Amino acid sequence: MRDRVELAVPGAVVGAVGGLIAGGLSAVVGHPFGWAVTTALAMAVPLGLLGGGYGLLAGSGRFRLGVFAPAALYWLIGFPLARLVAESSTGFLLGGGFTPPADVLGFLAYQGIVSFGWAIGFLWLHERIAPHWLDHVRSRNALAQQWYERYVTHARVLRDASARARRRRGTVVESPAAKSPAAKSPAAK
Amino acid sequence: MDTPNSPAEPRSGADVTTPPPEERVWRAGRLEAMPIRKLPDAPPSIHILGPTVFLVALGVGMGESYMWPRLVLLFGPEIRWLFLIGVTLQAVVMLEMARYAMATGESIFFGAARVFKPIMWFFFTVAILVYIWPGHLSAGAAALEQLTGIPWTVSACVGLILVGILFSMAKVIYNLLENVLSLLIGLLVVGTSVVAAMVGTWSDVVSTLTGMFNFGYLPAEALTAAWFPILVGSIAFAGPSGMQQMWYTLHLRDSGAGMGAHIPRIRGLRHAGEEEAMPARGFMFDTDDPAEMAKWRGWRRWVTFDALLLFWGITMLVTVSFTVLAQAASRTSPDVKALLQAGEREAALNAMSDSFAAAGGPVLGGVFLGFIALIGLNATLGLFDSFSRGQADMTYHFVPGAKRFRMSHIYAGFLWGVIAFGIIILLFGPADGPGAILDILAFLSTFAMGAYCVVLLLVNNRMLPKPIRPKLVTNLIIGFGAVFYLGMLLYSLFRFGVVVG
Repeated sequence: MRDRVELAVPGAVVGAVGGLIAGGLSAVVGHPFGWAVTTALAMAVPLGLLGGGYGLLAGSGRFRLGVFAPAALYWLIGFPLARLVAESSTGFLLGGGFTPPADVLGFLAYQGIVSFGWAIGFLWLHERIAPHWLDHVRSRNALAQQWYERYVTHARVLRDASARARRRRGTVVESPAAKSPAAKSPAAK
Repeated sequence: MDTPNSPAEPRSGADVTTPPPEERVWRAGRLEAMPIRKLPDAPPSIHILGPTVFLVALGVGMGESYMWPRLVLLFGPEIRWLFLIGVTLQAVVMLEMARYAMATGESIFFGAARVFKPIMWFFFTVAILVYIWPGHLSAGAAALEQLTGIPWTVSACVGLILVGILFSMAKVIYNLLENVLSLLIGLLVVGTSVVAAMVGTWSDVVSTLTGMFNFGYLPAEALTAAWFPILVGSIAFAGPSGMQQMWYTLHLRDSGAGMGAHIPRIRGLRHAGEEEAMPARGFMFDTDDPAEMAKWRGWRRWVTFDALLLFWGITMLVTVSFTVLAQAASRTSPDVKALLQAGEREAALNAMSDSFAAAGGPVLGGVFLGFIALIGLNATLGLFDSFSRGQADMTYHFVPGAKRFRMSHIYAGFLWGVIAFGIIILLFGPADGPGAILDILAFLSTFAMGAYCVVLLLVNNRMLPKPIRPKLVTNLIIGFGAVFYLGMLLYSLFRFGVVVG
């Protein structure tokens, strides 16, 4: 169980950050503490949970590494739901009743459009954070190790290519190929 | 003129230690020929986020967050068809800039010099005239002042020095910058989405999106001396403006894309001693080899993903979000429209912030100013690095005697030069530059965009081997770009006597 929870951490962090941005800036501009915390909680909790869910799906190999389409589809459903939960629960958290939006369908449709932007940002940050986190926990977590290896395989292809290029460069840059009469372009002046 | 591939012996493998006596080369222009080398494998998946992060950092600026929302409020969302054309054109330009840089490992400046050296010197001069002024810092620093109370000149000067120290201490500048900018832009995109989700409505986004397809809509007021130059400026500033697309070729090279893998990367001043010697020119791959061409197609797919999803998508997302925010602002605070009409940038930004606060609580006003500050920071990091990188590249390769220095030293010289000049101007002079030459600078910046379309046509069609030259449709689009930018600029100049606003 703990292994699976650890897979969810990067996505949960990115999801929660989205909600916390609003709360954090609220505090900076001097808004009452309770209001800022409510805003942050109402957004950060559902987005964090869904972000963690994305991490579990990606970690188990159901989503290919960092490919956009699955992330976009996932958030097309998830983001509007998270917003609906946040919108409805804000009033409740502030001590009143639930406050769902007046036009639920229009609300969900609009949030669905915004979700594409959210998906780009989420994926962007997730791909930056996940490899570092997996490297940190993989010694004790077999699932994290498997996911990490997929990143390593991918990175190895790139490293090999650049290592080959470096080896070749060793001969080229030392004496600028220009110095070799044979390598010099007949057209060069 | 054509540039025939030289007849020569085929290389007997990529990892040889001594160049063969008769090395195959690709001749392009009058400069030194490019030796044939292996093209590295393209990334096997599209998930590696590429150097487009720099273009996004540079491109998502005042155009997206302020200029276009302002035009929508003034002329209605139908005016956004011009934004669609502007940003789509920029995506094609980006792909074409990438074509030359990935095929050769050379910057587009080098490509321009292969066509005709004075073209490159034109861009060298324009970069200095336009980009040494620290005016782009002011909006971000002013927004930060609204948030924190720190005087904008103080934060701008401190920011400049921090940027200089950051880049000087970095081991590999590109890696550091990509990581920092990725984090900042990720936060910007995620945050913008959350705010747009909280403030906007279905009708706002529908009108914003449908307005993009209202081709040909131009209200009479937009064709006046007061607004047409602003419209031209906004089109030019849809996405990266001025020379930023040209600098992108240097970032592409430093990211190791395509033949850029054969070029060493620029290191920070502290690690300059570890830098490998720069080759005197780029390289070319064997375009007659089907395996190499397959790899080339892989690289093109990679950069196309970058251009369409990351560049086009994020730029579009930010501008749609800010337009939705502006529409929400105008509902709650009709004053914002009057302020926008008056052209008071800072007052208008504050009014938009206040409106967001009225719509959704002070948090939204703060979020708006926070994003403006973030955009300012992104642009500062990106512009200072790009300017120094571009000038260092041209200086190293084309100024006599400059090869005595390392590229890192020349880069650091330009970087600290522009920082020192910026601090002096921020403290003692007008940040945007002397008023009298403002028009000239704006003209040059937009003129450079038309000019780089022409340069692209020349470089890609004359300096590259035939199998990897652009197709006719692409050439037509870039040609349209040249006519579009230069035509609107000159029309504005001759019809109204004003360049861009």
